[in-house]
Amino acid sequence: MLPEGSEEVEDAVRSVLRDVLGISQERVDAFAATTPLFGALPELDSMAVAGVLTELEDRLGIIIEDDEVDGEMLETFGALSRFAMAKALG
Amino acid sequence: MTSHYDWRGGREAMMRFGLADAPVVVIAPPPFEEANRLRALMATVARGLARQGLAAVIPDLPGTGESLTDIAATRLADWRDAFAAANEAAGPVRLIASVRAGALFDGGQGAVGHWRLTPQDGSRLLRELVRTRIAGLREDGREASSATLTEIARNDGIELSGHWFTPALFGDLEEAAPLPAHPLRTVRLDGDAQPADHRLAAAPLWRRAEPGNDLELAQLVADDIADWMRTCLGG
Repeated sequence: MLPEGSEEVEDAVRSVLRDVLGISQERVDAFAATTPLFGALPELDSMAVAGVLTELEDRLGIIIEDDEVDGEMLETFGALSRFAMAKALG
Repeated sequence: MTSHYDWRGGREAMMRFGLADAPVVVIAPPPFEEANRLRALMATVARGLARQGLAAVIPDLPGTGESLTDIAATRLADWRDAFAAANEAAGPVRLIASVRAGALFDGGQGAVGHWRLTPQDGSRLLRELVRTRIAGLREDGREASSATLTEIARNDGIELSGHWFTPALFGDLEEAAPLPAHPLRTVRLDGDAQPADHRLAAAPLWRRAEPGNDLELAQLVADDIADWMRTCLGG
């Protein structure tokens, strides 16, 4: 059941943002690689980041270490997706 | 309506839904932060079960909700014993349904079956609580690693999401896994990578920071529990 391709991982990232932040499908569908996240999405505060990371772990079967979490990884949708792909697909 | 059950540590409250003589679903809700996030959902599920001709009970655990027991004195074994006592007090024909970390204490004699929604083990539960604490510290401009906080928790205890964890309770949870259960149906949400007997098309309400409800998820859960009850009863 684990996502096997980069598109699937990107879809998983999109649905995690939708479900954890409670934003609409329409809004997450419009996210592009350059769409800014942390600092730009009001729903994504530090607490919500914790939920996003944990839900990504559950859905992708990965473990995210403390020292991997930084502003850069959460800066844009593209950066978060790339991080998730590297983790999930190796 | 509110009723009670007695266990070795005293008396705790138990919310009861449906007819008194109907087969009863004994619900083990998740503890700590997710208890708040899922309280409304649990009540809607219980009412949905009552509409299907079943009864449902949601026991308060020692040290939570309206309980007079001190959380600082509570161990996982207390929750297991209390839930087992609530189960026996609930009625003659029972099925046990647990949600999330409710699976860590959802044991009991004589149930016709067990049902779990997205069970998690204790280390996973603590990981999430510690991660949320780190995020909170970061908002205050302070940095801490989960290794440091875990060390503090093991030695001195720690407050996580408004609950005080003694080193004893923290240690219990670090080691805790869902109890053996048979027959068991494990249900997860679409997109969850872990194995399951059935998947529901819904979003994880327990991740949402704002307490809320999801009537569609409640309906899916109540229907699946009722079906499993019928299967376990042989009809």
